[in-house]
Amino acid sequence: MAKPKVGVFGMTGCAGEQIVILNCEDELMDILKVLDIRSFHTAMSENDEQCDLDIAFVEGAVVQPEEEVWLKKIRKRSRLLIALGTCAVWGGVAAMKNEVSPQRLKDEVYGPRGQIFKSIPAQPLHSFVKVDFSVSGCPIEKEQFLQAIASLVHGDIPVLPKYAVCTECKLNENTCLLVEKSELCLGPITVAGCNARCLSYGIPCCGCRGPVEEANIASEVEILKEKGFTLGDIRNQLRTYAAPAEVLQTYFTKR
Amino acid sequence: MSNHPSTSGADNIYQPSLARIVRILPQIEDHRLFQLRFEDSGIRQSFTYRPGQFVELSLIGTGEAPISISSSPTRPEVIELCVRKIGRVTEALFRLPLNSLVGLRGPYGNGFPVEEMEKNNLLIIAGGLGMAPLRSLLWYALDNRSKFKEIILMLGTKISEEMLFKYELLSLLDRTDMKCLLTVDKDEEGIWPAQVGVVTKLFDAVKVDPEITYAAVCGPPIMYKFVLRKLLERNLPKDRILMSLERRMKCGVGKCGHCSIGYKYTCIDGPIFTYWDAINLPEMI
Amino acid sequence: MQIVKLPKENLDKFMGGLSKFGEIHAPIKKDENTYLFSKIEDLSKIELNYNRTILPPKKYFLPPNETMFRFSPEKGYEPPQDNLNKKYVLLGVHSCDIHGLKILDLVFSGTYVDNYYFTRRKNTSIIGVSCIPDDMCFCRSMETDFVEDGFDLFLSDIDDSYLVRIATSLGDDMVRANQSLFKEVDKEDIAEYKRKSNERKNYFKIDLELYNLPEIMDLEYESKIWEEIGEKCLSCGTCSMVCPTCYCYDVFDQLNLDGKTGERRRQWDSCLFKDYALVAGGLNFRSERSARVKNRYFHKQRGFVAQYGRPSCVGCGRCIQSCPAKIDIVEVMTKIRSASYE
Repeated sequence: MAKPKVGVFGMTGCAGEQIVILNCEDELMDILKVLDIRSFHTAMSENDEQCDLDIAFVEGAVVQPEEEVWLKKIRKRSRLLIALGTCAVWGGVAAMKNEVSPQRLKDEVYGPRGQIFKSIPAQPLHSFVKVDFSVSGCPIEKEQFLQAIASLVHGDIPVLPKYAVCTECKLNENTCLLVEKSELCLGPITVAGCNARCLSYGIPCCGCRGPVEEANIASEVEILKEKGFTLGDIRNQLRTYAAPAEVLQTYFTKR
Repeated sequence: MSNHPSTSGADNIYQPSLARIVRILPQIEDHRLFQLRFEDSGIRQSFTYRPGQFVELSLIGTGEAPISISSSPTRPEVIELCVRKIGRVTEALFRLPLNSLVGLRGPYGNGFPVEEMEKNNLLIIAGGLGMAPLRSLLWYALDNRSKFKEIILMLGTKISEEMLFKYELLSLLDRTDMKCLLTVDKDEEGIWPAQVGVVTKLFDAVKVDPEITYAAVCGPPIMYKFVLRKLLERNLPKDRILMSLERRMKCGVGKCGHCSIGYKYTCIDGPIFTYWDAINLPEMI
Repeated sequence: MQIVKLPKENLDKFMGGLSKFGEIHAPIKKDENTYLFSKIEDLSKIELNYNRTILPPKKYFLPPNETMFRFSPEKGYEPPQDNLNKKYVLLGVHSCDIHGLKILDLVFSGTYVDNYYFTRRKNTSIIGVSCIPDDMCFCRSMETDFVEDGFDLFLSDIDDSYLVRIATSLGDDMVRANQSLFKEVDKEDIAEYKRKSNERKNYFKIDLELYNLPEIMDLEYESKIWEEIGEKCLSCGTCSMVCPTCYCYDVFDQLNLDGKTGERRRQWDSCLFKDYALVAGGLNFRSERSARVKNRYFHKQRGFVAQYGRPSCVGCGRCIQSCPAKIDIVEVMTKIRSASYE
């Protein structure tokens, strides 16, 4: 069977996902054995911008009108489009201040020089194109990325955990920072896959992987309020990585 | 510790055995009948099952899924699975060429209580894809024709293009030792050689003697509602109405928990339940 | 049953001698109020006075993650050659947790015997230890505050010594290996044991009344309490992970990078997860969180009774301690029993 033709693309973000891919040093040769990488600007000098692709991996959020055009072009030439990283899946950090007008943000950050480019409120990829599969994380987990490749090469849509970070945290037998230490932990509403890395180092979950399916935001907020956190604190933490997520939007508009 | 069951030399209950796809028969859209043959001749000869049982099918590297057996144990050597392309495992199965290897383990589940059903009339009622498990029972009964009294098949689909095993079943129309009632909801071209109308209408054409009849029903939830009403109207005892249910039977052996319904596991207590079971179990249908 | 006495000053020597029966695992302190079963390198780390470990001993028999088979397209599925036969000594297991294992035994035996579980079970000796209940323990309600079997030795604290019940031939070997450390039980020890166990009854702060609970649960199947808990529950899976009798697992094929070979693995699952009862094609038999919560309680307190004759809850208090939303099984069951609740 021919190797799938692959492109790796970055919208607006920190290129963290592309760095994770390049950091797969021990596996890079094996990756090249199974994938035919045609486009990967961060890593290669010769890129094919036209060919049809079997898989496009796209990281970053869409924050400029040009990116929307580019993304749609990538979608058109790709059989599968996979969103990589929290920015691509949820909007990420760039979407934190979406309620402020892009013009005002641009003025504040760039001053008059901001005139030369346009910006729109940061959005995840699925706001513009069909996304076939998502690997979230800030950055993505190397193991999840490799597993996704293995499944795709086999011909299957990958399966990644849909449960919450709490589950992984318990399996690591960490002391619960939310229950035992009353810290602002988003583990119960954040999707697993990181093996509760931060929590295993004694740092509460900041929600960088985005919300779990059917996240019970209302209950999480109640729990944190009872522990003495203000709605402002909680809201800021919740909106850091996945502000455009529907569960969060619904919760905060309802209030 | 001394009181544990013996594990020495015992089989691994989760071990799939390799089977080869020896024939693929396209059915209706997104449905195919796969004929599988165990690679190991010992397993091939010893593998038997009851109508209504299922197997766990492994697509190597993709995973496992429960599939009901569509063939009859009266016809050994190959096992037939009628599969609908609907999930990861079945999509992977549809990608495989003829002669590929898959994993199989089983058979699992209770199956139909065929010994108990013998010497009775058999009323097989299927809607849509419900024919897949019931085909096993139908051929079991036809191959043991003398053991059963009357055999009646009622099958309904929306249109004839959606009827599984259509040509095989149409060939039964001529049999005099059974009543084969095949109905389609709509026949716009007027070419359907059998009945037209919903499956419950077929009841007008049959007599049900509640003292000596077993009904085996499988189909979409909406069909159960109307068919059950008809059967109860004819005074069929609730524990003689048998239904085949679908749940997420992940392990097949009553351990993993996924197929629980109320207090029962579909994989070991079912998938065949009586209507009486259904009334007594929460969240059954 | 034979009972001998182990003076506490001999405890370390006794524990040190156990290593020839297997790798010793026992509770250690993790944090201020948390403990866990862990491999013991240093006997002084063993904490026999503990309330409960984060994960129950089930992790030794049904590991959170395990390889069931290795697979390749040509050979299909082959069991791994891992050595399941390594010997372990699990020291310091509470009565409730021993009952938890006995409940798992019921599930993994039967017509289909799970050898992954039972091979480990056979190769692990269990040394129980008595405990003082805290305000989340309700083992007494669940009739698991004492245990008759399911251990090789059981140590009951009587202040200066432990009374040691010897339940198996292996347990007897463990005692004989260091016979000089043990003494005979005298009348004063018996009196002290009785005084202690009587006193223990008074420490229980919460109670879950079992009397006709299955009938009450049937009657309250449509109760709005399930909706209320569904509103609070985060579906985070914590209660299932920490439960000594939750045994549900998921199975999946994990491919190597070649996209051909790999491992069939199983890992703990929870009936509270949204996709738990999802079947191919997208039909979900319990898509509502309240339905999943209800199912969990029904299975523990009602379904298991119908299947095996007793509830599968052992009253260890782990779910009460660890639920972020403070959902408390004793409170829920008490509410459901109360005549005034509708």
